[in-house]
Amino acid sequence: MDIFSNLAMGFGVAFTLQNLFLCFLGCMIGTLVGVLPGVGPVATIAMLLPITFGLDPTGALIMLAGIYYGAQYGGSTTAILVNIPGEATAVVTTLDGHQMAKQGRAGVALGVAALGSFFAGCVATIFIAALGAPLTRFAQLFGPAEYFSLMVMGLVFSTVLARGSILKALLMVFLGLLLATVGTDLETGQERVTLGIQQLSDGVDFAPLAMGIFGFAEIIRNLENPEARDVVRSKIGNLLPNWSEIKQSIKPVLRGTAIGSILGILPGNGAVLGPFASYAMEKKLAKDPSRFGKGAIEGVAGPESANNAGAQTAFIPLLTLGIPPNAVMALMVGAMTIHGIIPGPQVMTKNPELFWGMIASMWIGNAMLVIINLPLVGIWVKLLKVPYRLMFPAILIFCSIGIYSINNSIQDVYFTAFFALVGYIMIKLGFEPAPMLLGFVLGKLMEEKLRQALILSRGSFTTFIERPVSATLLAVALIMLVIALLPAMSKKRDQAFQE
Amino acid sequence: MSEQISGEPDKESGRGILQDVGAGVFLILISLFFLWQAWDLPRGSLRAMGAGMLPMSIAVILGAGGVLLVIMSLVKGGERLTTPHVRGLFFVLGGLILFGLTVRWLGLIVAGPLSMMFASFATADVRPVEAAIFAVVMTAFCIGLFKFLLGLPIPIITFI
Repeated sequence: MDIFSNLAMGFGVAFTLQNLFLCFLGCMIGTLVGVLPGVGPVATIAMLLPITFGLDPTGALIMLAGIYYGAQYGGSTTAILVNIPGEATAVVTTLDGHQMAKQGRAGVALGVAALGSFFAGCVATIFIAALGAPLTRFAQLFGPAEYFSLMVMGLVFSTVLARGSILKALLMVFLGLLLATVGTDLETGQERVTLGIQQLSDGVDFAPLAMGIFGFAEIIRNLENPEARDVVRSKIGNLLPNWSEIKQSIKPVLRGTAIGSILGILPGNGAVLGPFASYAMEKKLAKDPSRFGKGAIEGVAGPESANNAGAQTAFIPLLTLGIPPNAVMALMVGAMTIHGIIPGPQVMTKNPELFWGMIASMWIGNAMLVIINLPLVGIWVKLLKVPYRLMFPAILIFCSIGIYSINNSIQDVYFTAFFALVGYIMIKLGFEPAPMLLGFVLGKLMEEKLRQALILSRGSFTTFIERPVSATLLAVALIMLVIALLPAMSKKRDQAFQE
Repeated sequence: MSEQISGEPDKESGRGILQDVGAGVFLILISLFFLWQAWDLPRGSLRAMGAGMLPMSIAVILGAGGVLLVIMSLVKGGERLTTPHVRGLFFVLGGLILFGLTVRWLGLIVAGPLSMMFASFATADVRPVEAAIFAVVMTAFCIGLFKFLLGLPIPIITFI
C-alpha cells in the first residue's frame, strides 16, 4: 500500500523533535488568534512569515498550517463562550453553542466541538493522503486552458460564497485581478502601472495588502462597532459529554465531516460553506427542528466537524494543483516560494517529505489541539477578558514589526497603511475583501495561463470550450453563477448568511 | 501614492449617499486611474498579447461594473453610507506611519511605545497611564521575542 508507506514516511518527518515543537507552537498561536475576535489567521500568518525565514521549509509550513487549523478550533471556543464568532467559520456555532453555554452546558459544547473536530481532522487527513496522489496525476494532464478554467471556476465559487451582493463580489475579483497586473510584465519586461515606484516593479506585495485589509482595516472596523462581550459567567461544567449526548452527536459528526471534506476541496473557499450546509442539514433531519437555536447539541457537533474537515481538505487544491483556495492558502504559497518551493503537482514528487510530513503533522496537530483546547480552556477564557483598548495596540505593534521585517522595508509599512485605508473604504462601501484577495493571488498565474493558451490556439477563445475538461469546469462555474443569481436561490442564500 | 487614490473616494463618505453609488464611483475612479496609467502600453493582439491588454480590458470591465452599480442603486435604492470613524482611522494609521517614520531613525525602543501610545487614542475609553505602561512592557517583550529569540535584524537603539 502506497499510502501507508508514504504516511509512515510523513510521520517520520513530523515526529522529529523540532517539527513536533513547531507543530505545537503553530497550534498554540492558532488557538490564540482563533479565540481572540478581531485577529484572524490571515493577519497572523502574514505577520509571522518573517519568523519562518530561519526554518527549513517543512518546519515552516507545519507551523503555518498549525496556525490555520488551530484558529478553527479556537474560533469555536469564542463562539460558544462569548457568542462572537472568533473566526468566520464559527458563525453557526454561536447559534446553539452559546445557548448551551447559557444553560450551563458550556463544557459539553466545548467537548463535543473539540472531539468532533478531532474526528473530522483525522478523517480529512486520510482523505488528503488518499486523494493527493490521484489528483496530482490528474493535474499533470492539465494544460494552460484547463488551469485557466479551473481558476475561473474557483473565483466564481468565491463570489457565490461571499456575503452580500454577487455583483459586488464579482467586481472585487476583477479589482484583485487588476491589482495583480501591476508590476513588470513577465513576457515583455515592460513596467505596468508602477508609477515609477521601484518596489512596485515586482508587483504589489501580498503581505502589506493582506495585512492592511485584514489586519488594520479590521481594527478600525472593530473600534467603530464595539462588540458587547457577554462572556458566560456560569460554570463551564463537565467537559466530557455523557453517553446519550455522544449518541446524539455521532451521526451529525459523521455527516458534518463528509460535507466539510467535500466542500473544502472546492477552489474558491468552499470550506466556509461547510458549517452552514451541515447546520441546515441537521435541522432538516432532526425530529424536532424547533430545538435548534435553543441549545441542540447536533447544531454544534455537525458544523464544528464540517468546519475543521473543510479547513484541512482546503490544502488539497494547493498541494496538488498549486491553486490556493483562500487567503490563508495564498500566504502558504508565499511561504513556499520564499523557501524555493513552487506549489503544484510537482511538490509531491520533488519534495515528498514536505508533502507527507505536512499531512502527518496535521493529524498530530489535531490531537494536540484537543489537549490545548479542553484542559486549558480556563486560560482562554481569561484572555477573552482582556479589553480591546489594550488588545489593538498590541496587534498594531506585532503587525508593524512583522511587516517591516519581511523585507526590512519601511516602504512596506507605508504600503500597509495605504491598503488599510483602502480596505476601510471598501468595508464602508459594502465590499467583501476576500474575493479581491483571491483574485489578486490568482491573477498572475491566470494571466500567464491565459496567454499561453491563446498562443497555443492562435488567438482563439474557442480553445476553452473545445477542450472537454476546460469546458466542463467553465460550465460548472456558469451553472453555479446562474443558480446563485436565480431569485429563489438568492433569497435562500441571504437567509443562510443571516443565520 | 497614497495621496493619489485615497483622497478621491473620501468625497463620497458624506451623509445620505447610497452605499452602492459610492461603491460604483469608487470602482470607476480606480478604473479610470488604471486606464490612464496603462494607456500607452502596447496592447498587442489575442495571439500575442501585449503588456497593456489585460490591465486595459479588466479596467474597462471594472468601470462598466461601477456604472452598473450606480444605475442599479439609483433605481432600486438601498443602504446609505454611514459616517466614517475618523478618530480610529487617524490614530491607528497614524500609529503605523509613526512606526515607519521612527523605526530606522530612532529604533524600536522609541518607535514601539510611541506608535502604540498614539494608536491607543483611537478609542474613547483610552486610559493614558495604563496605555503608556502597557506600551513599554509590550515593546520590551517584542524586543526580547523578535530581536533576541528570533534574531530579526530590526534596529533597537540607533541614537546613542
